[in-house]
Amino acid sequence: MAEGKMIFISGGVRSGKSAYAERRLLNIPAPRYVYLASGQARDPEMEERILRHQKDRQNGGWTTVEQPLQMEHALLKIKAGDAVLWDCVTTWLANELYEGWQEGKPCTEEKGCMEAKWRKMQDTMHRIREVAGILVIVSNEVLDDFVRDESYQKWLGEIHRWIVAESDEAFEMENGVAYKRK
Amino acid sequence: MHIVFGGAFNGKRQYVKEMLSSKETVWCEGKLPDAADQSVVIAGLEQWVKMQLERQMDEETIQQLVKKTVQSKKGQQQIWILTDMNRGIVPVDAIERKLRDVIGRIYQDLFKEAELVTRIWYGIPQLIKGADENEHLYQNRR
Repeated sequence: MAEGKMIFISGGVRSGKSAYAERRLLNIPAPRYVYLASGQARDPEMEERILRHQKDRQNGGWTTVEQPLQMEHALLKIKAGDAVLWDCVTTWLANELYEGWQEGKPCTEEKGCMEAKWRKMQDTMHRIREVAGILVIVSNEVLDDFVRDESYQKWLGEIHRWIVAESDEAFEMENGVAYKRK
Repeated sequence: MHIVFGGAFNGKRQYVKEMLSSKETVWCEGKLPDAADQSVVIAGLEQWVKMQLERQMDEETIQQLVKKTVQSKKGQQQIWILTDMNRGIVPVDAIERKLRDVIGRIYQDLFKEAELVTRIWYGIPQLIKGADENEHLYQNRR
């Protein structure tokens, strides 16, 4: 089966990337619009924010799948022809890379841990594309700065480069304008 | 003179390595080239600038040393790999704040001097200076 289209959209905070991603997706006829949310509520403000977003999307006819970690579980919830939006890479990476920090054993400090997770994620993305009609991936621009967290930033760079290489189209958002880079 | 510019971990060095393929080049990582070096790649300039600032070298002298390097390599191949570090939050550390200012101004000088400036965004090259004569969008984006 032919793979579904993949689009990568990245931008700074409040650059309009999510709105653009949603617009792109809703322009495509699909039986369902699925929102893969990677955000994890760690405080009441975040909880409220997630609930607000869920409600907004419900009104817009979205099906929300909360999947902060282990994206392969979301595969079971995706049906043929779905239009899928994943928001976003940076939160997913933080969730996976620091998983286990409460026990003092974050993934980032274990050899091969993130490598294995990333291989699984690459496979999951391929499989999502096989089922869904389209996959739009949203991420953040955080690499034009001093390196503060080398492991995180290095992974993010590698992941972004892979996604861009795999995507049919790639956009950089700035102030609500989408610049097509691929 | 060719500048390859972009954020950290965007694939700048890989792009340059592929561009050079088998050509003989002196690769200077975190340092300026020697006078005798012909055909050079200067990468990690920010590391070199940071080192000079930590040694209390003043900005004027740092700028002069960079300018002198550019002048001495005129007519030879010189590729500068520059990391964009100036779109983040103002650093808490004083030397990092200084570094941001200094490299920002050095980059402006270097961009003025360069015939070609290529920006790399997650492996995708985009010619942002020198486009008039050299921009062939299709080829440029591979």
